[in-house]
Amino acid sequence: MSPDFLSGIRFTDLTWAGAGPFGTKVFSDFGAEVLKIESMSRPDPVRRGGPFKDGVAGTNRSGYFASRNTGKRSISLDLKNPEGREIALRLIAQSDVVSNNFGPGAMERLGLTYDEVRAVKPDIIYLSMPMYGEDGPLSTLLGVGMTIAAVTGLMWMTGYGRGEKPLGPGTHYPDHAANPYHAAFAVLAALRYRRHTGRGMKIDLSQVESTANFVGASILEASVHDREPEHTGNRSRRDAPHNVFRCAGEDAWCAIAVESDTEWLALAATIGRQDLAARPELRKAAGRLAATEELEAAVTAWTRAHGAVEAGTILQNAGVPAARVSSARDLVEEDTQLAARGYWQTLEHPEMGPSLFTAPPFTIDGERVELRRPPLFGEHTQEVLTGLLGMSDAEIAELAERKILA
Amino acid sequence: MTPGFRPYTGIRVLDLTHNLARYATRLFADLGAEVIRVEPPGGLPDRARDTADVPGGPETFAFHNASKQSVVLELGGNEGRAAFADLVRGAQVVFLERGGPLGANDIPWLRDLNRTATITHVSPYGLGGPMQDAPASDLTLQSAGGIAWMTGRGDEPPLRLPGGQSAMVVSVYAAVATAVCLFDAETRGRGHILDVSAQEAIAHSLQNAIQVWDLERRISHRAGEGTRDASENIYECRDGHVFLASPPTTGVSWKGLLGWMAEVGHPSLAPFSEPQWLDRKYRSKPEARAAFKPLFEAFTRNFTRQELVENALKRRIVMAPVSRVHDVLGDPQLAHRQYFVRLGEGGPRFPGAPYKMSEPVWGVSPPPALGQHDAPAARG
Repeated sequence: MSPDFLSGIRFTDLTWAGAGPFGTKVFSDFGAEVLKIESMSRPDPVRRGGPFKDGVAGTNRSGYFASRNTGKRSISLDLKNPEGREIALRLIAQSDVVSNNFGPGAMERLGLTYDEVRAVKPDIIYLSMPMYGEDGPLSTLLGVGMTIAAVTGLMWMTGYGRGEKPLGPGTHYPDHAANPYHAAFAVLAALRYRRHTGRGMKIDLSQVESTANFVGASILEASVHDREPEHTGNRSRRDAPHNVFRCAGEDAWCAIAVESDTEWLALAATIGRQDLAARPELRKAAGRLAATEELEAAVTAWTRAHGAVEAGTILQNAGVPAARVSSARDLVEEDTQLAARGYWQTLEHPEMGPSLFTAPPFTIDGERVELRRPPLFGEHTQEVLTGLLGMSDAEIAELAERKILA
Repeated sequence: MTPGFRPYTGIRVLDLTHNLARYATRLFADLGAEVIRVEPPGGLPDRARDTADVPGGPETFAFHNASKQSVVLELGGNEGRAAFADLVRGAQVVFLERGGPLGANDIPWLRDLNRTATITHVSPYGLGGPMQDAPASDLTLQSAGGIAWMTGRGDEPPLRLPGGQSAMVVSVYAAVATAVCLFDAETRGRGHILDVSAQEAIAHSLQNAIQVWDLERRISHRAGEGTRDASENIYECRDGHVFLASPPTTGVSWKGLLGWMAEVGHPSLAPFSEPQWLDRKYRSKPEARAAFKPLFEAFTRNFTRQELVENALKRRIVMAPVSRVHDVLGDPQLAHRQYFVRLGEGGPRFPGAPYKMSEPVWGVSPPPALGQHDAPAARG
């Protein structure tokens, strides 16, 4: 389906890089008109970051950009130019939401603060998402997703346990779920609030405060007990065996997670260790936890003789939570579940040709949301300035001549 | 305007989630929805699982179920089913999760009771497909969704993220999709059925790994190939650890760093001035990471976390302390912004709102006891 659920909602979207655009993409995918304001005077870093089609860099060739900007319309506009700012304000006057993920002070420098914007659109919903909030002693600290993971304890807790040093997530994890999706949820809530009250609002999303909720239970544990929560890596605090096990083949792994007495007995039977199943002290989780090393060795002896997919399938069929640890290649090329549910979408793109996209991770009324391709840089400038602002071709050409639309 | 109106005032969410999707319904509850946990006489499964017998159990329960209500209904019996049907007729959202008292088979019945409600079903692998009923857990979902592959050391097993991240990820996707459907229901009177897959939600949040494979046929690997700049790492300092991200594409940060080394005359400046450190391709290779770490750590070991952060602020370097969880409670920035709230009067400090709104509409209250809101007067 090509949903019209949010049709009639318009964004003037100043977000860039990862977290901001990933959040506003929700709206364009559901039929809202998201006007992405871009300028080559300060290009969106993900247009410059890879991967690129065939490894060849280019403004319109980045897969990272493509995956964050489906269905949007790109307006090239230099906001640092006073006339550029005026045009932005005219777009904002006809928008429902203004979004940015700049650092503190940037919107002031552009002359686009909440108050300035509210002057042209009194019920505007104004989303800001700086890393650490807009004020305070560390508000000007520069950050990326991993910095946010660092200061929230998420990085510290990501490790193999055993009292080892932290490793941290392998991605800029907070950029890819916590912050974009908290932001989208907040804007949707603000839209309903405005519908019933007539009032807009400012949403000040500190990406650190947002991400702290993703480790909220651990923070609460530290708060209640006034101590550092134990982190156990792939192991569990409640049961064993519970780990990632090496399988036959190169860099092949299977996750196995026993979480009940029944699952333990099923696992022991499947790996042919009735002797372990028969041991009374292993019938309960506490006994299994005490024997973690021994049980993991027994499981490894079995997994090393099986491929990762095979091991996962055998154990799932026996009622044990298990799964191959999949790489991106495995997901795309070999995952039968994702394929069966129609998760992958291939979109035609003028410069990238056919490229692969992940569908939003759900179906609605049994159907997938069909994505629309991401915009080329400035692709919709002319159309929007004409259609929305009623500018003539001559006016637009003149602005372009003076590099205001660049 | 209605006094005291909150974004989800007037919205009733019947909540049968018990693990993966509890945070989704909490997001609605904190913004004014009446979120009612509908529990069997023994409680939804999380009441038996997240107990004081397991370290962190009660805190997990409290965090995921704050601001909600609880009623007890035996959905296996006619009386309980009839009472539930009455609740459904007056609800805008019904949230189901695999393994709860009602499942996918009950969706047609719910739809008949209420044509305009949004019915959201959350499960490990979604409905349909060979894995629909496969047993799953946080560890196996992070593995099947691709995020575990990307974390850990190259010569050791892939590693999951801490704190039950599969539930957090699928919850925010489920909450947003439900909010979009609810918006449509209120605009056009259309009810929707959402089928949310945790595996797909995780696979949707892999940074650019899917595109790295599709466009450049490289596999983003936990050892760093294709995922990280050589600088993006954790470094020891005098009293702990800091994280640095200083790829040459963020020019100011990299120049600021080299400028600082020049100022203090540090010997790592000379090797870092070699031309390969300006080459993006080189810097994404494991050998670059291996070379970077000792050179930079030789520098950071001379400083405390505080000194490093002060310089990061002054010199505009992307560097931050690696906080322990307990440190987060003392974070000066969070304190300045009065981030933490109390869970109930005299209760423990509790994580605050994920977003500050200029209107006073967000609030959190303690999780409900089983059946605390059985009497209709206790609700609302």
